[in-house]
Amino acid sequence: MIRDLRWVLGKGRTLDGMIALAVVAAILQGITFVLLVPLLRALILGDIAGAWLWAGALTAAALGFAITLWFSSVLGQKAALDLSVGLYDRLGDKISRLPLGTVDLALTGRLARLTSKGVMQVATVPAHLVRPIITAVGTPLTVVIGMTVIDWRIGLTALISLPLLAGGYLLTGTIVRNRDSKYAAASAEAAGRIVEFARVQPALRAFRGSASSNDELTRALGAQHKTYRSLLLGGAAGMSIFAVAVQAVITVLVLLGTALTLGGSLDVPALVALLVLSLRFVEPLMQVADLGSALRVSSNSLAEMREILDAPELPEPTTAAVPADASVELRDVGFSYRPDTPVLTGISFSVAPGTTTALVGPSGSGKSTLIKLLARFHDVTSGQVMIGGQDVRELGTATTMENVSLVFQDVYLFSGTLLDNIRMGRPEASDEEVFAAAHAAEVDEIAARLGDGWDSQVGEGGGLLSGGERQRVSIARAILKDAPILLLDEATSALDPVNEQAVSRALHHLEGRSRLVIAHRLETVVNADQIVVLTDDGRIAEVGVHATLMANDGPYAAFWRARTEAAGWSLATS
Amino acid sequence: MSTATLEVAPEQSAVAHTTPAADRVRVGALLSEVKGPLTLAVLLYVVSSLASIVPLIGVVELTRTLLPMAWGQPVDADHAWLIAWIVAGALLVRAVAQFSALMITHLADADLGASLRTRIVDHLRVVPLGWFGTRSSGRVKKAAQDDVGTMHHLVAHSITDMTAAIVVPVATMAYLLVIEWRMALVALLPMVAAVILYAISLGGSMELYQRYDDSLAEINAATVEYARGIAVVKAFGQAGRAHARFADTCQRFITFFGQWMRKAGLSGVLMEIVSSPPVALAALTLTGVALVGSGVPFIDVLPGLVLGLGISAPVLALGFGFQELREAQEAANHVGELLGAAPMPEPAHPREPQGNDVDVENVTFSYNEGSLALDGVSLHLRPGTVTALVGASGSGKSSLARLVPRFYDPQAGAVTLGGVPVDHVAGDDLYQRVGFVFSDDYLLNASLRDNIALGRPEATLDEVRSAAAAAQIDERIGQLPRGYDSVLGTDAELSGGERQRVAIARALLADTPILILDEATAFADPDSEVAIQRALSELVRGRTLLVIAHRLYTIRQADQIAVLSGGRIVESGRHDDLLASDGEYARLWCATGSDEVAPTHIEGNQA
Repeated sequence: MIRDLRWVLGKGRTLDGMIALAVVAAILQGITFVLLVPLLRALILGDIAGAWLWAGALTAAALGFAITLWFSSVLGQKAALDLSVGLYDRLGDKISRLPLGTVDLALTGRLARLTSKGVMQVATVPAHLVRPIITAVGTPLTVVIGMTVIDWRIGLTALISLPLLAGGYLLTGTIVRNRDSKYAAASAEAAGRIVEFARVQPALRAFRGSASSNDELTRALGAQHKTYRSLLLGGAAGMSIFAVAVQAVITVLVLLGTALTLGGSLDVPALVALLVLSLRFVEPLMQVADLGSALRVSSNSLAEMREILDAPELPEPTTAAVPADASVELRDVGFSYRPDTPVLTGISFSVAPGTTTALVGPSGSGKSTLIKLLARFHDVTSGQVMIGGQDVRELGTATTMENVSLVFQDVYLFSGTLLDNIRMGRPEASDEEVFAAAHAAEVDEIAARLGDGWDSQVGEGGGLLSGGERQRVSIARAILKDAPILLLDEATSALDPVNEQAVSRALHHLEGRSRLVIAHRLETVVNADQIVVLTDDGRIAEVGVHATLMANDGPYAAFWRARTEAAGWSLATS
Repeated sequence: MSTATLEVAPEQSAVAHTTPAADRVRVGALLSEVKGPLTLAVLLYVVSSLASIVPLIGVVELTRTLLPMAWGQPVDADHAWLIAWIVAGALLVRAVAQFSALMITHLADADLGASLRTRIVDHLRVVPLGWFGTRSSGRVKKAAQDDVGTMHHLVAHSITDMTAAIVVPVATMAYLLVIEWRMALVALLPMVAAVILYAISLGGSMELYQRYDDSLAEINAATVEYARGIAVVKAFGQAGRAHARFADTCQRFITFFGQWMRKAGLSGVLMEIVSSPPVALAALTLTGVALVGSGVPFIDVLPGLVLGLGISAPVLALGFGFQELREAQEAANHVGELLGAAPMPEPAHPREPQGNDVDVENVTFSYNEGSLALDGVSLHLRPGTVTALVGASGSGKSSLARLVPRFYDPQAGAVTLGGVPVDHVAGDDLYQRVGFVFSDDYLLNASLRDNIALGRPEATLDEVRSAAAAAQIDERIGQLPRGYDSVLGTDAELSGGERQRVAIARALLADTPILILDEATAFADPDSEVAIQRALSELVRGRTLLVIAHRLYTIRQADQIAVLSGGRIVESGRHDDLLASDGEYARLWCATGSDEVAPTHIEGNQA
């Protein structure tokens, strides 16, 4: 863990300083305890002058302890800040370099959790965990060494006990770990069942009525309870062994000390001091247990961060190539997320400049993946994706993006004004151009609907707009950007048919460029210069124009018939 | 004159239903069932705290007994051994009592956790169906698993910590004051100083903690925005700016974090130093030497030295647990909030409906004291007919449809079934007559057969299969290796449209005379659209149907179309009449381009 922390910090001087000071503080704390022996000796023998001397030494040690502890904490806090800076820098930078295709909702959620709770957990490790652990371990160690110097028999007994106690503690850990994982599994099962119970509650009530008991759920909750109790009892067994061992050690020291004093080989002040030390030196060790589990949590966060930071990136060319024209070509493209599950195989077709190719196929056929390959969301596993005669890997992500406009299903808007979001399409565009694009995409209506017109806030992620409205903003951006190639996913939620109409009208303003469209509207497909039909396992089934493919009477014809039947349907009870 | 723009409002079911503060179950009430074990644990902790002081007193007494040895005089060895063995005994008692107390609290925590989860589940059975929106299952999971778990500290640790923090200092001070009051006061100083420092830091810390939580939330949101928007910013070449914005937010947080640490962190270290053993020891030894120097016997000063160290530790432990305690209380509040959600009242004397006419009588309804979702709506559903509800999102059609299966109770007016208001119909009776198919399919992770037969568990496999066949899903199920025994989620992964057809099969088998349908189910899955449409046509045959319509052309043959706007019915009638009267419906019909949809208008131009 320390190693990882130093890696984040770059140079570990703050951390080293903190650790060094913490060690000194721990030793000084131990020394103040040990100084009790000569002090008590002087007091018992009535040597007041000597007593003052030792009291002074003790006070000096205490002062030294206070100062080193203070500065160690200050350094610990500096380390916390440095760690935060380091982690935020690295994570922020990595997000900008990750392949676009890997940044999905799950990863976003993980990143959000890591940048908030995760960074805090890791940053506070030096001040809140490392320092207390050093103190908790260093002081007893110093005390035991001191005890050994005063009386080797007692000291040795104490020294021997330490590894025994450590062993007992580790044994507890082993017993607990197995039950812990059983408990974790039972908890996860119960959590899943509860979520399901809540999710389907309407159906349970409607279909099962008051008889709705849920045996699975009851069983899962019962298992969770049982494994937790088992965990506690197992942990208790271990802890009790440990506690008994601790008390046994102290008892032995007390009895041994008494025996030695009565036998005359140990003087009373030493006995008093040693007894006080015995009674006190074990307590800090008990804290280590709690700190240990907190350390594990932070360690896991850090490991997760490193995993993301080490994620592979797309290779970028040193000098970007230049596309010759607005043509698109896929040559024998294959792609899979995992080696054994190919999403696309042997895809080959081209889109001539200025023409429209419609992409059609069942869900799961890889249509969205295919389009994303053209925007370099991922690199292909095999084959080539070419824009203007150049492989996109030679063009680089930036140049690829310059030549391509994206209008996808999942549209993300930034919390800001409506106008700002449209202006993103081409920030250096003039106001007239921005408004013209907005008007073409029929976004004026949206501005009218929201309270403040063009300056209206769109909400987080564009949440104040419906899905269809967000797509219109996305179209406005694409119109403004005016890139030679358009990648479009036509799916809109039909829950908003008025929006659907507006979207289809707006799309007319994006003609005249090379377009690759995941087609949902029959009008698009019929008018396309080329239709590419995919199978459900990601291969090409047919390629052609509407009339030819209808004549083939293959998958396309079946698709066409199904869609027209669906379009004419209506609900009737007779 | 209104334009044909359809208003958009956020999905009502996504609005979080919050329990009014007065209804929340209080933390004390939540813990009441473990009162007994906790009391026992407290008593044991009192014993253990007192027992922890005995060995220290024993050291003093042992010293007193053995002191004469320093001047070569005889001592009472038997007495010394007695003390030694008493010390050993006290150590044992302390360990056993403390250990037992902690076992009791931890087991009580386990039992409480299980009990709370069961209570939550039981409460979910009686909460109005309308409570279950898009975020409710996440909320439930958080409360039942995460929050109940976070309460651990409250039950298992804080009460025992508090006991020790009171008993140890009080008992120690009582002993010391009797022996040598000046040492006692000096022993008290560090603890008092620590408590004062703590109170000072606590003064501003509530607000600071809140700002800390807010800042974390801000970073969280900024990360989401940066990551989710990265594709967009890269598409428009603005990744650098977005990165800079993110970096700025992080920097602001770090600045705050630095301030927060300086205030909260360093004052914590100060408290730690002030109440640390070396500082206490220094103060005590200086005082002790001064007192001995002025003639006080050594044996009277010794107790202060030996026991004075231990006063602050239990109090400090309380301070360190403060963050956990705060979180535990927050968690307990969430649980209390969930358990306080108002249940749907079951009728005390249920009446049986006469027939299956559905009447909505002048109903007024709103969610959560917000704006009115329905304002004086009346509607009659004749048996065996199709009634369609149309209107923009937010016009009230979803709310109206959900009143019939009693997802909610209206604030004014009533929905009657066969002449009886639905809140006077027994739940079982109501759901035997009223079924629903919404876009959330509500399928269980159980076998397909169990899912389809949910409403009629005694149905034979043939009956299940014939329902599935009518729902156009029998063939698909046949393709699965385990067929109808396939368990959803483990053996079988079905697409959205396939799941909908399973839900339709279930509704077919349940065979309710009245059916509420959300037309959104039909086009959830474009691949299955035709199959689902056929399934729905089967399903609605011969029933009384109330359908929430989104695409106007699908309901053009309905017997009655009710047009809603702003929570009121503004028009109703049949399709042709409504078009002719050229009102709201006609405007919607044109705006959605429904008049252009018929397949005959689509022509190829690539011949």
